[in-house]
Amino acid sequence: MAHSIRISYSACHGCVNCIKSCPTEAIRVINGSIAIIKDLCVDCGECLRACARKALGLDDDDWELIHAHGSVEALPDPTFFAQFGSFWFPEDAQPTLAKSGVNLLIDEAEQAFDLSAYATSRIIEEMSPDQRPLISAYCPSVIGLIQLQFPELLSRVIPIKNPLEIAAELWRRGTKSFAPMTLFAPCPAKITLVRDPVTKEPSSIQHIVSIRKVVHFLMAAGVKVSSYEKSAKSKWRFPTWATRGGETRHISKLAGRELTVIAVSGLRNTKDLLQQLELGRLRGVDFVECRTCDLGCFGGVAVPESRFLAHLRNRHIETDWEVSPQRRSELDALYETPKIWHTREPIPSKQRLPLSNDLSEAMSRLKQMNAIFAEMPHIDCGACGRPSCKAMAEDIVREQGDITDCIFKLREGISSLAAQILSLADTQPHTIQKRR
Amino acid sequence: MPEPIDLEYDVVADDYQTAGEASNNLKETLKILGVNSSICRRAAIIAYEAEMNLVIHAGGGRIVANIDENKVEIKTIDQGPGIPDIGLAIQEGYTTAGDHAREMGFGAGMGLPNIKRNADVFEIDTKVGVGTTLRTVINLKESPI
Repeated sequence: MAHSIRISYSACHGCVNCIKSCPTEAIRVINGSIAIIKDLCVDCGECLRACARKALGLDDDDWELIHAHGSVEALPDPTFFAQFGSFWFPEDAQPTLAKSGVNLLIDEAEQAFDLSAYATSRIIEEMSPDQRPLISAYCPSVIGLIQLQFPELLSRVIPIKNPLEIAAELWRRGTKSFAPMTLFAPCPAKITLVRDPVTKEPSSIQHIVSIRKVVHFLMAAGVKVSSYEKSAKSKWRFPTWATRGGETRHISKLAGRELTVIAVSGLRNTKDLLQQLELGRLRGVDFVECRTCDLGCFGGVAVPESRFLAHLRNRHIETDWEVSPQRRSELDALYETPKIWHTREPIPSKQRLPLSNDLSEAMSRLKQMNAIFAEMPHIDCGACGRPSCKAMAEDIVREQGDITDCIFKLREGISSLAAQILSLADTQPHTIQKRR
Repeated sequence: MPEPIDLEYDVVADDYQTAGEASNNLKETLKILGVNSSICRRAAIIAYEAEMNLVIHAGGGRIVANIDENKVEIKTIDQGPGIPDIGLAIQEGYTTAGDHAREMGFGAGMGLPNIKRNADVFEIDTKVGVGTTLRTVINLKESPI
C-alpha cells in the first residue's frame, strides 16, 4: 500500500514529534530525516498535525496544471460545501464554479451517496444478528487500521465501494465520457483511495487535489457564496457525510426500520470501538461508523476551514430526508447492478511480520527481545529514531538496529569502558619500582 | 523445543479503567509470534472475559498465560467468593454482577459462556469461600482425530 504523505527533506530536522504521533508506529528517523514505512501507514494525517516545521505535506496533484487544461470535471467531497464562510448550497455552487471552468458533479455524488446508504441498509438486513454489527467502509484510514490491527473484523466491513468512486462510475456510465475526473479530497487517505485502492480495483478518478488548494484558488478568484434564508432546507443529503454521524443518519433514513448504530470520530475512539467490537462486546448493534479524524471528515488535514465552524454550519442546515418514490425505484434498479457499487475483491489483511515464520524460532526471538527490552531505560524518548523502547528492542531482534542506537545504553557502554581503562591504567608493569 | 513463553498479569478488583490490558498484551504477543489471527482473537476474548470476571466478581486475581509450540494455555487464579453453581454460571445471561458493574455495561452474564465457546479445553475448579481456578487451552495445531 502506498501513502500520500510527502516529506520535505530540507525542512525535516529528524525530531521525534511525528514518530510519537503515529498510531501504527510507521515512522522512523534515518540519516537525520524521517522515513515512513509504507506498509504500516494508514494516511490518518496525525504526523502532519504533529509536525511543527511543516516538513510534511500532501502528495496531491497540481491544481494549476489541471485547471490550465480548461474545463475540469470535479467530484466534490461532502466537506466542500461548508468551506466558504457559510454553507454553500450545491445548486448555487455549481453554476458559480461553472464560470471558472469547473463542472461540479453534484447530481452523481448525491445519487452515489444515496445508493451507498441504500445498499448498506439492504446488506444490514440480509445479515444474521451474529454477523452484525457491520462496519462502514467510507473512511479509508479506518480500513487501513482494520487491515493492520483488527484483521478479524475485515469480514464485517461493508463490501461497498467508496461513494465518491461510485459517483465517478455513475458519471462515466451516464455521459459515456472519458474526460479525466478530479476529486477534491479532504485528507491523504482519500488521495490513496484513488491512487492505490486496497482492493486493487482501478479507480475511475484520475486526479486528486486537496480541498485546501481548491478553496484557496476560488477565494483568490473572488467567488461569492450566495446567502440563504435561515430556515433554508437542503434537498442534498450527501453533504451530511462530512460530519460524524452523517452516514449512519442517511442509512437509517433509507432503512425500513430504526437501526441501532454507533458513530465515533477521532483515532482513540475508533481504536477503542474496534477493540470492543473484536472482543464481541457490541452485540445488538447493527452498524458502526468510524472516522479517524475529529468530528469526521471536517477534521481532515486538507480541509482549510475550522472543523468546529464547518460542523456548526452543517448542523444549521436542515436536510430533507424524504426520498421520492422515483428516487427509490432508481436506487432499487441500481442495487440490482452490483457491478456499480459492490467491491469485487475482499479486503486483504496486512498483519505485521512475525519475528519468524517458524513458531519456535519466533518464540526464542521473543525471549531475546524481552531480555533486550528489560535492559532499556523505558522512557520512550525517541532519540534512537524509533517510537518506543519496545519498538527498538524489536528492531534489534529483527537485525534492523543496534543497542548503541540508544544514547543511554551507549553512555553505559562508555562508562564501563572508561572504568576498564582506569583500572588498566592503575596496573603497573612489575619491572618498574613501586612508587611511594 | 524452545522454552514456553510465560506471561503473568495482576488484575485489581473494581479497576474498570485498566481492565483489558492483559487481553491486549496477550493478543500482541501472539501476533508477533505469527499465530493465526483467529486464534489471537479467541485468546484475546478469553483473557478479556477472564479479566472482567476477576475485576467484577473475584476481588482481583492473577492471569497466567503459557504459550508453547502446541497450545496457548490461559489460567486465572483468584481467592474470591467461588462459584456456588457452575451449571448456572455457564448459562448465557446468568449474572450475579452488582448494579455498578451492570451500569457500566459489564456483567451481562456472557463471561463464562464466552470463554467456554472460545476454548478447546475449559476446566474450572472452584470452592465457595476459597476461590476459583479456571484453566483454558487453545490448540495451535489441528488436533488429530
